[in-house]
Amino acid sequence: MAGSVLALAVLVVLPLAFLGWGSVTADGRLTLANFRDALSSRLYVQALRNSLVLGLATAVLSVAIGLPLAWAVSRTNVPGRSFIHLTAVVSYLTPPFLTAIAFVNLFSPRAGLINRFFRETLGMPGLTFDVFSMAGLILVTVPHTFPFVYLLAASALESVDASMEESAQILGASRWRTALAVTGPLVAPAILSGALVAFVNAIALFGSQAIVGLPGRVFTLPTRIYALFDYPPQYGLASALSLIFVGLTVAALYLQRRYLARRSYVTLGGKGSRPQLVDLGPARWGVFAFCVAVFAVTVAAPYLTLLAVSVSRSWGLHFWENLTLQHYRFVLLEYDVTRRAIWNSLILASATATLAVLLGSFVGWLDLRTTLRGRKLLDYVSLIPLGLPGIVVAVALIQFWLRVPLPIYGTLLIILLAYTGRYVPLGVRSANAAFRQIDPSLEESARVTGAGWLRTFCSVTLPLARPGLFAGWLLVFVPALQELSASVLLFSSGSITLAVAVYNLYETGALGPVAALAIVTMLIITAALALATRLGRGHGGAGIPRGERGTVAQ
Amino acid sequence: MGAVGVGRGASVAGIQIERVTKRFGDVTAVRDLSLEIRDREFVTLLGPSGCGKTTLLRLIAGFMTPNEGSIRVGARTLSTPAAVVPPERRGMGMVFQNYAVWPHKTVYQNVAFGLEVRKVSRADARARVARVLELVNLAGLEGRYPSELSGGQQQRVALARSLVVEPDILLLDEPLSNLDAKLRERMRWELKELQRRTGITFVYVTHDQSEAMALSDRIAVMHGGEIMQLGAPRLVYTRPANKTVADFMGLVNLLPGRVLRASGDDSLVAVGGAHPIAVALPPGAVVGQAVQVAVRPESLRLTAPASGAGAPGTVPGKVVEVTFLGNIIDCQVTLDDGTRIRAQVDSGRTLEVGQTVGVEFDSRQSSVFSA
Repeated sequence: MAGSVLALAVLVVLPLAFLGWGSVTADGRLTLANFRDALSSRLYVQALRNSLVLGLATAVLSVAIGLPLAWAVSRTNVPGRSFIHLTAVVSYLTPPFLTAIAFVNLFSPRAGLINRFFRETLGMPGLTFDVFSMAGLILVTVPHTFPFVYLLAASALESVDASMEESAQILGASRWRTALAVTGPLVAPAILSGALVAFVNAIALFGSQAIVGLPGRVFTLPTRIYALFDYPPQYGLASALSLIFVGLTVAALYLQRRYLARRSYVTLGGKGSRPQLVDLGPARWGVFAFCVAVFAVTVAAPYLTLLAVSVSRSWGLHFWENLTLQHYRFVLLEYDVTRRAIWNSLILASATATLAVLLGSFVGWLDLRTTLRGRKLLDYVSLIPLGLPGIVVAVALIQFWLRVPLPIYGTLLIILLAYTGRYVPLGVRSANAAFRQIDPSLEESARVTGAGWLRTFCSVTLPLARPGLFAGWLLVFVPALQELSASVLLFSSGSITLAVAVYNLYETGALGPVAALAIVTMLIITAALALATRLGRGHGGAGIPRGERGTVAQ
Repeated sequence: MGAVGVGRGASVAGIQIERVTKRFGDVTAVRDLSLEIRDREFVTLLGPSGCGKTTLLRLIAGFMTPNEGSIRVGARTLSTPAAVVPPERRGMGMVFQNYAVWPHKTVYQNVAFGLEVRKVSRADARARVARVLELVNLAGLEGRYPSELSGGQQQRVALARSLVVEPDILLLDEPLSNLDAKLRERMRWELKELQRRTGITFVYVTHDQSEAMALSDRIAVMHGGEIMQLGAPRLVYTRPANKTVADFMGLVNLLPGRVLRASGDDSLVAVGGAHPIAVALPPGAVVGQAVQVAVRPESLRLTAPASGAGAPGTVPGKVVEVTFLGNIIDCQVTLDDGTRIRAQVDSGRTLEVGQTVGVEFDSRQSSVFSA
């Protein structure tokens, strides 16, 4: 207990407190000047407005894409449903900066491949598209946010008890009427909640906003905060802007929680049967075409582009005439910065995932299996980082560790602290879910049989929770490996990470190596997923079907 | 069941529960409760959900600390508010309502776990597991995982797991409630037989009164965290201590009445419109007092209508409903004062709706509670 409290204090509470303190002080005196500056300067008001526009547009588009996909997959006989599902999952896993860089290669005003095709080959400059704009920013952000709407809406649509819809139909309601009067209200909270999560994630994505926004002078809160760390750094103003940013995020998450709470009645259906699938007839090919289009834009275009860039000597309309592996040789063997970055990120991601799941297990176990005072508070505190964008976590850690006489600034350790703080909610949630599905009686019967606390934990609790904890580990590992928002403020040349290396290479204009490194990043993520899926499955060879475990430990 | 050879140690395993109270926040789940369970006895804690029976069982198991009182087994004090011997050092067995069979271990691994914890040699463990699996009719299923077993088989694994360590005391928390009716009946016999053969002290929790009656040496009927009545099944059924017990132990008619004569076993109570019946009164009852007479439907006899005043113990009535149930006939009779009672009679009888009958009360099968 004491350990968990200490860990959460160092990771979350103290940095936040220092962030707050830093925002209301200047030269050691209490003042509101920072907030006044933040809210009166046109620079920052514009950034706030841009962040809001980006968030709202992204949320709306995420619903426009995610909801039809969710409906198609869970309610219709559209062909290729697992392919559609995979599209959403891959989009979700793809590092956002990767998509941004890919679209820059296609749509940068002068060198973009598609723009050049329209201008030079077709002679129709009117059809070109400038990616360095708000529209471009939205285009590269949506692929990472529509999966939130998709996943939440699909699970809600699937959990609606068929009998609820059937009772409307038997009373004479048409299919559309039923959808509007019964299904819609039941799943609306899930959709809204997905939209809000999309909003929160969209405005926090530093990578896309820096790569696409900065060249087009579309400034947002994260990029403004980032710019404040240029020499001379303005810590106070950065802290104030960070807190305003947190306020925005927390407000959205608060709304989302309220909607989710209302959602609970969807699952109350209990043993109901699955809803009948809608037979779309020939229209299903139209729906399928829409899904393919989404796949083309969110998955195929970015990956194929990066792959092509990474193997071509010079990027242009005839790139296939000069294929090469030199960019891969460069980033993997020759350039020591990228080699170091790959190792650093692997170490950081593994350590972060382990720490987050470990800490999550302690917090979850304390919450579920003990009656210690304050365990609920511990659980809440561990969720705070959900409301903290990565760049804010970095600002808070800088504020804290600059004032503490421990020289960890500029080391891997401070990045590890930032990552662990950011991702501890994922660890806590996974551990909590993993322990929750183990009925206490399974542990109690080990106790009665004569096993002590530790023995019970090792031979009953842990083996049963293992798949869930592994999933949690992966859930942290994947985003930690591609983390940019916090690392970009905290790295030094020795502690450079994969995403920062990609970003730095991008700024120098080395597009080939950037693409190669992006592909390498994706390969590492894929390998980690495959490995962890294999390790996390089964108990010493003889697996137990998930459903069965549910019935035993109800 | 199979071969003998699973038993228990020679120690005395009576349980003394003394003035135990357990509170959860503002709710008192067990209130100042005392109970002495004798060595080798089969005692059932019976009551509706929320009566505190499972809490009491978990207090005995050591999963909870009492707020007041003590629990001892033989000379050993196991639970006081100050100190609780943890469950793993009590040497008891426990069978849970949902079986709690570990899904990641095979049948063999489940059963052998307690022996591993006790560092029993591998060969010895193998023999003991084989013996106990035979006892519960699971021989041959050692390598199966719980997900490959039926509910009844999982239940037996849970039993075997508890029995293999030869506990002196076995705690069972509604172990049959998740089984279907037929299997439940069969497992009842097996449990009873097992208890007789092993001599293990059984403490059994259930809300099913017929299960309690079939199995127990004594039943403790619980309500509101207290024991309402403790006694042999027959006694609790025929002479319930109060209305709550009477009501919980099966179908019962509760008739309003008035005391006519109060002199011990020779007392009279008027029911059904001033018709006297002979019953035993609770102590302290006085003439003229309003009371309630509890009588079970099968304890009533229907006779031909009595002529004139009739003998004490027979009350005139009129049949208003007849339901044929196969082995018995269930009928509703209205007495002169409009009270409706339910009687169950031999299915050989012919009864018509509208027929007038005499309802005969047996003084030994009727109880009187103050109204």
